[in-house]
Amino acid sequence: MKTRIKEYRARYNLTQEKLAEMAGVRRETIIFLEQGKYNPSLRLAHNVARALKTTVEELFVFED
Amino acid sequence: MALLLITLETYYVAVALVVGALVMGHREVWSLIRRRKMPVIDERVRENVSKSVRNGFIFLAAALAFLMLPFSVFLTETPDTVHLLGGLFLSGGIVYLLSYLFYDRVETGLGERGLKLLRRFLLVTGISLAAFIISVFLHNAIYGIFIHYFGEDFWSRTGLEDEPVFFFIALLSVVSFAVGLIGSLVIFIKGLFTRTP
Repeated sequence: MKTRIKEYRARYNLTQEKLAEMAGVRRETIIFLEQGKYNPSLRLAHNVARALKTTVEELFVFED
Repeated sequence: MALLLITLETYYVAVALVVGALVMGHREVWSLIRRRKMPVIDERVRENVSKSVRNGFIFLAAALAFLMLPFSVFLTETPDTVHLLGGLFLSGGIVYLLSYLFYDRVETGLGERGLKLLRRFLLVTGISLAAFIISVFLHNAIYGIFIHYFGEDFWSRTGLEDEPVFFFIALLSVVSFAVGLIGSLVIFIKGLFTRTP
């Protein structure tokens, strides 16, 4: 799984800490999400996507 | 909890409990010092905690079953219950702590190759320990049967000085256990200190 969280975060000039606060998670969780090392629940994916003003499909890229 | 353990004179468990709580809660302590508030407990933390509780519980159940069997069958003297439970509690806590650190940091810190290697080393450690316990049991069982049928001096009548099969198994399993344990620890520590950007 690849994510475009870092790209979107840079677009809105958000720090990992700020995004974590907006999504209601720890900063480490954002780090692992950015690296594609953590598989989030649908709720968390939705919260992160909403904080970055985008959709879940746009943010998380699954490779077949 | 630590005070209760101190009154029971299980100081080592109390110290381990405090150290373990500090290791696990260092982010909370740091957050309280820096921002005067606790960090959120998100789904990743909850998942890690529940997996670690499960592992600690499985270990405790297995250790209790392993201890209860020989005590109920072979030993007539009752053990020092407080220290026995203290030791069990301590080792269960260590399993919980290592599991938490594994799910929280090592699993995400190590790459696929590192995880595969860690799994192999852990497998070697577990198999060596099982082989050691089984060989001790088999050694005693076989000697018991032979003594029953051929008398107590049956071994001296064979003309052999040593017991090559069990000696080899015991030596091999101890060496492979040490290799597995050291290998696992090295990879675990490497994963623990892998920096995330």
